[in-house]
Amino acid sequence: MNNNVDVLMDNLPIFIPLILLELALMITALVHVLRHPHYRFGNKILWVVVVVVFQIIGPIVYFVFGRGDDSRA
Amino acid sequence: MRDLGTMLRKEMLETWRTYRFLILAVVFLIFALMSPLFAKLTPTIMKMSFGSTLALKMPQPTSADSWTQFYKNMSQLGIFVVAIMFSGTMSQELSKGTLVNLVTKGLARWTVVVSKYLALLGQWLVITGTSFLVTWGYTAYYFPDTKSPHPGAGLIPLLLFGAFFLAVILCGSTLARNSYGGLLFTAIVVALLFVVNVFKKAHDYNPVSLISDNMALVAGTKSLTDLAPAMIIVGAAAFLLLAWAVVLLNRRKL
Repeated sequence: MNNNVDVLMDNLPIFIPLILLELALMITALVHVLRHPHYRFGNKILWVVVVVVFQIIGPIVYFVFGRGDDSRA
Repeated sequence: MRDLGTMLRKEMLETWRTYRFLILAVVFLIFALMSPLFAKLTPTIMKMSFGSTLALKMPQPTSADSWTQFYKNMSQLGIFVVAIMFSGTMSQELSKGTLVNLVTKGLARWTVVVSKYLALLGQWLVITGTSFLVTWGYTAYYFPDTKSPHPGAGLIPLLLFGAFFLAVILCGSTLARNSYGGLLFTAIVVALLFVVNVFKKAHDYNPVSLISDNMALVAGTKSLTDLAPAMIIVGAAAFLLLAWAVVLLNRRKL
């Protein structure tokens, strides 16, 4: 599919920052999951999978619902 | 006044350490990037899914499509994300009792409400303003046409609606026992506004018009002064909601 490559190359100025933002969000969430082993529910493996597999949505769901309370950790 | 500055700093630190600012910034920037991209790719997507016969009838995407995407994302998903992020801003402090020490040491309770509101408003303005600039840049680059002569005119009502919306969130958060209660309050207020939207006569007075008429403003078919009543109502409502939040907090047992 040569066409797809053309589409990608045409829109590279948008795709690059978009991918960088997604990666930044994923890595921030991943580091947080690994360094704070207390969650409101679920366990470490679940949250790693959620954060890595579901781009954008996964990290948001983790920070909003899954992140444990730091003061109790 | 010095208390207000200190509390404001505390709010800023909190939003940074809880990753709220980061998430909002990234999500809004993604919306800002997706808008021109989606406008540009729509014909390609149509061609891939329905073959080239239908795609021939598709008009070329214009800057208006890009701005339509932007204002649709902001007014639907963007505001939803803001509500989720900030619905616990007061209720969490109340349920954890983190305000007890500060208030017993002589911090005025209105300072808490005002500093929280200013922090929320500041974040909203910075994040929405930045994503607007990003979309503007890409739209001007990819669609150099004259279909959207006043891009900035659509932003002003959006920012004002946000100022009102944050007051609703803060008020709901003070009213509720947990962040879901605050979210419910916000949802009820927005639902009521959409019910009012059914009545055509109330259109220029309804805050919802501030997030639904943006494209007309961008295209220049409607002028900002048409929405002046809604803007005044939104300003007054935000002020009243904040005053109510102060009253609620004054009566609340910490």
